[in-house]
Amino acid sequence: MALKDGTLGRAVVTSVLRLLLGYGVSLFFGVLLGVALARSAKTKAAVGPLILGMSSVPSICWLPLAILWFGLSEWAIQTVIVLGALLPIAVATEGAVKHVPPQLVRAARTMGARGPRLLFGVVIPAAFPGILSGAKLGWTFALRSLMAGELLFVSGGLGQLLETGRDIGDTALVVAIIVTIIALGRASEWLLFGRLDREVGRRWGTEAA
Amino acid sequence: MKATALPVDAEISARPAKRPSRPGTSTSLDRVSFSFDTTEGARLAIDGASLHIEAGEFVCLVGPSGSGKSTILNLIAGLLSPTQGRVLENGAPIDGPGPARAMVFQDAALFPWLTLRENVEYPLQLAGMSKGERRERSAELLRMVHLYRFADSHPHELSGGMRQRGAIARALATDPAVLLMDEPFAALDAQTREILQGEVERIYLEMRKTVVFVTHNVREAVRLADRIVLMGTRPGRILRDVTIDLPRPRAANDERVAWFAADVAGEIRSEVEKIAREEADDAWVAPGDRVRVDPRRNLGGGI
Repeated sequence: MALKDGTLGRAVVTSVLRLLLGYGVSLFFGVLLGVALARSAKTKAAVGPLILGMSSVPSICWLPLAILWFGLSEWAIQTVIVLGALLPIAVATEGAVKHVPPQLVRAARTMGARGPRLLFGVVIPAAFPGILSGAKLGWTFALRSLMAGELLFVSGGLGQLLETGRDIGDTALVVAIIVTIIALGRASEWLLFGRLDREVGRRWGTEAA
Repeated sequence: MKATALPVDAEISARPAKRPSRPGTSTSLDRVSFSFDTTEGARLAIDGASLHIEAGEFVCLVGPSGSGKSTILNLIAGLLSPTQGRVLENGAPIDGPGPARAMVFQDAALFPWLTLRENVEYPLQLAGMSKGERRERSAELLRMVHLYRFADSHPHELSGGMRQRGAIARALATDPAVLLMDEPFAALDAQTREILQGEVERIYLEMRKTVVFVTHNVREAVRLADRIVLMGTRPGRILRDVTIDLPRPRAANDERVAWFAADVAGEIRSEVEKIAREEADDAWVAPGDRVRVDPRRNLGGGI
């Protein structure tokens, strides 16, 4: 029991920080890539098939390669997280941008919107519900990649603690960690995704009647 | 039988304009052709059309589906470039879409993530207006279309007719020279349609912009237009002009409107039948025609 106070807290902090960093990078570049894929036929032709191929690889399969390249370091874990989360975010963003009603873009153009103002002022906000879906998916993938990475290669964080718990036969610890992970999920929902979902529902009117 | 004329709204001319609005400019198509690519190759949507619309004129483009009326509107707006010929505004060729040629679409096309007020302010924001001025101007426009109470609602909370009024307010925000309307009332119920026709007429009388209004509803066109341009189909081309010199404002149930409408409808009837026959495998029979034998019934005859 005494083990949990302090150790668990530190593990949570380690894991959450890793997740936020990896997810942040994935989100930023994923949305960028998604928009580029949707708007530029050249980008799509050049990179599209590669993206499709890579997203069929379960992110944990990247771990051996990451360790070979970066050793047992934070870089390895971050590589796995980013490769796991960036691709689904990019794919979802591409779909969302493609499905922006062309009438909205036409309307914006007749009002004088062009180039970056059209993209950032109209297209991306219009695609936001789809991008949010992708972001939620990306979060799930990021969490999974993180946990798999931490379980397999000991380096601190919740995954390592799980492995430790199994090793010393401490069922209570293992269950406690699982409960913690559930709590983290609820927290992210409450703090972030739930709020964004409600905001989208408020503006677009997609709440259940 | 004398038509019951509604009392002319004398207030319209007597009320001082709240803000001087830019008068309309002329717009014209000079031997314009337009074709676009389909899976079956290039399709000619417009074939050598020339059209001139005077400054401050209210013109309706009328024709059945496929006659290229929306294409012409998109060409005037600058959203499409002609494959041949030129589109001119005030004598000079246009260079793409812009706020001087504002457009109202059939489905309003308001941005769902913005409130009604923010939607109306959007073109003003693009034009670089300050926040305070935008507020003032959007309030004025919303009051003009009687939607001020709903300024903070999102489009999904508004009815179809309200959304269209919002779209009209947005189109008028930058004081355009030409107002383009693409079947704006097609998706609305008949009562709302009539009310909005009256609104458009009222706004037109107040601001005297050049209006190009596309519709397939002949009665609507006769009610609103100074001039009707009839369009033919396959390929899309201009058939002829009809001038409507009825006094304004016009009542929806005015007998003269009905008379003109029947006349115009007769003119485009053959075009409408052409479409109907094409879409129904030649088995379509126009109502009132002699009964024709269904060609499928005669298989094997005369061998």
